[in-house]
Amino acid sequence: MSQPIVQLDGVTKVYRQGSIDVHALRGVDLEIAKGEFTAICGPSGSGKTTTLNLIGALDSPTSGTVRLENEDLGALSRKELSEIRRDRIGFVFQAYNLVPVLTAYENAEMVLWVQGAPPEDRQRKVMELLEDVGLSGLEDRKPSELSGGQQQRVAIARAIASDPAVVLADEPTANVDSETADTLLDLMERLNKNRGVTFVFSTHDPKVMDRARRIVRMVDGSISDDTVKDAVT
Amino acid sequence: MKTQTLLGTVRVAWRNLWRNGRRSLVTIAAMTLALLAMVIYASLMRGLLGDMERKLLEVEVGDVQIHAPGYLDEPTLYDDLGESERLVGDLADLGFPATARFLGGGLAAAGDASAGVQIVGLDPEADRVASGLAGELAEGEWLSASEPSGVVIGSRLARTFGVEVGSELVILGQSVDGGIANDLYVVAGVLGSFSEAVDRSGVFVVEEAFRSFFGYEGGAHRIIVRRAPGGSTEDALAAALGLAPDEDVQSWRQLQPTAASMLDAAVAGLQVMMTIVYVAIAILILNAMLMAVFERIKELGLLKALGMSPRHVLSLILLEAGLQTGIAIVAGLTLAAPALWYLSEHGLQMAGLSGLTLMGMSFDSRWYSQVDAFSIGAPVSMLVIIVSLAVLYPGLKAARLRPIDAMRHQ
Repeated sequence: MSQPIVQLDGVTKVYRQGSIDVHALRGVDLEIAKGEFTAICGPSGSGKTTTLNLIGALDSPTSGTVRLENEDLGALSRKELSEIRRDRIGFVFQAYNLVPVLTAYENAEMVLWVQGAPPEDRQRKVMELLEDVGLSGLEDRKPSELSGGQQQRVAIARAIASDPAVVLADEPTANVDSETADTLLDLMERLNKNRGVTFVFSTHDPKVMDRARRIVRMVDGSISDDTVKDAVT
Repeated sequence: MKTQTLLGTVRVAWRNLWRNGRRSLVTIAAMTLALLAMVIYASLMRGLLGDMERKLLEVEVGDVQIHAPGYLDEPTLYDDLGESERLVGDLADLGFPATARFLGGGLAAAGDASAGVQIVGLDPEADRVASGLAGELAEGEWLSASEPSGVVIGSRLARTFGVEVGSELVILGQSVDGGIANDLYVVAGVLGSFSEAVDRSGVFVVEEAFRSFFGYEGGAHRIIVRRAPGGSTEDALAAALGLAPDEDVQSWRQLQPTAASMLDAAVAGLQVMMTIVYVAIAILILNAMLMAVFERIKELGLLKALGMSPRHVLSLILLEAGLQTGIAIVAGLTLAAPALWYLSEHGLQMAGLSGLTLMGMSFDSRWYSQVDAFSIGAPVSMLVIIVSLAVLYPGLKAARLRPIDAMRHQ
């Protein structure tokens, strides 16, 4: 494996629910290298979304370390974590999570304007991305004027616009029909191959697991299996 | 924040305003009406207070007065300023307009009516430099050195005597040598109402007539000093103290402490009134912005997840309130403009107030507004401050959201 861009060492996460401690992660060790197309799967409550949240600097571990491009996320301030999320991580959510008052184009360029990128760079990049995800001609539509699949394409364009180190996709196909799920997976697979974008999915969709080249299975907060398909075949 | 980021944030803030257009419009309308009311109220109060202060300073008291030591405690013809003419000249050389007044008491009579009066001698032309008295004539003409028998009297005195311009007035008094002084005068002019003291008992004569009536040869009893153009009362006070260190030199605030306190209290009252109105607006803004934040918690969490810093999220919420305030300021001032023009040009007819005095200052029958930096600036800046304070809580709440919690919000 090449130099990992994501490293989890002995990561635990305990949530307090009332007087009960819920152990969401129990000592997870995981490395993800650049260019991977990895699915973290497992039943509900197995810890896959928590793992994604920790990698995405949305949450902090109870113990252990999470490193992104060799940087310990636990040592960073809130502002620095914001910058990490802005510059090095792309997110694709189950519920698309587009800003309803912005057009498809504006949603896709959002991270770029948060970064303060010049308008001409933003325009060039976003138009190219929208074409790449098959949304040419729909730039001016608001999310409410797009289908679920189209909205998720906008979310994918937004996630990769800033050339992040890794794109974290939490159940990206859960809200779309089977055909759309295939199209979205085709798209992400193509972006992975053509642009070298690293994808990490949290999923229990067999379609995603089928396309993933590495499958990390989780049960009760621990990794039960970690299979790299290419190595198997 | 980079320019491009700021422009993007303004765009999102603007769009967010119109998500719930009705709520934004109601908020903007409330701010507009509050600002409109406060600008008109402030300019009317400034007009009233400014007019009272102007009359007090320009017409009656001046910024500073110089008297002989002890004169104010026990006014007498014999306590004069000696070289008053030189002092007036020196003050004028330093750029402070000044005028000398000769003061004496007497009894005036016309027909069957009589009243105690204060006789004020002055140089009718030189007095115009430092006093607006000549401009307060309601009827007739100002004093003239060529007509020493002419007098200008207060309005209430004229009513008491039932005299008008051209009527005769007899004045009795005691001359400096202790003998009886008396003379017959003709009413040249009647002053408008501006001061209770002048209204009831003011009789103005030329200096020559004063000297002749009392057989007086001394200096003036009072020198009225005005501030230099663009200067302050404090400058005039310092200059007068420098030139007359042995005399009793006092500013108008020392001479008229009650009136000064009343003017200060009125300004404070205006600010309290503004605060009360704006606090009500603040509660409306707070409610509207809290609703706007709570409705969008999930989305704000998304923005933070995508890398917006807490400061950036705070800026977004502040901008949304700022845009609403900006629209309200433009709308409020646009609506206020014609009303302010009318009130400053034509005023409000307040016949009931005519002749009414408060702390020795009289009201006019017309109440004009005064548009200046305070009457516009104070309501606008207070609105901005109050809105900023009101929006701070929802703004900080949004800024401190943990993205993971916010995105789970249902």
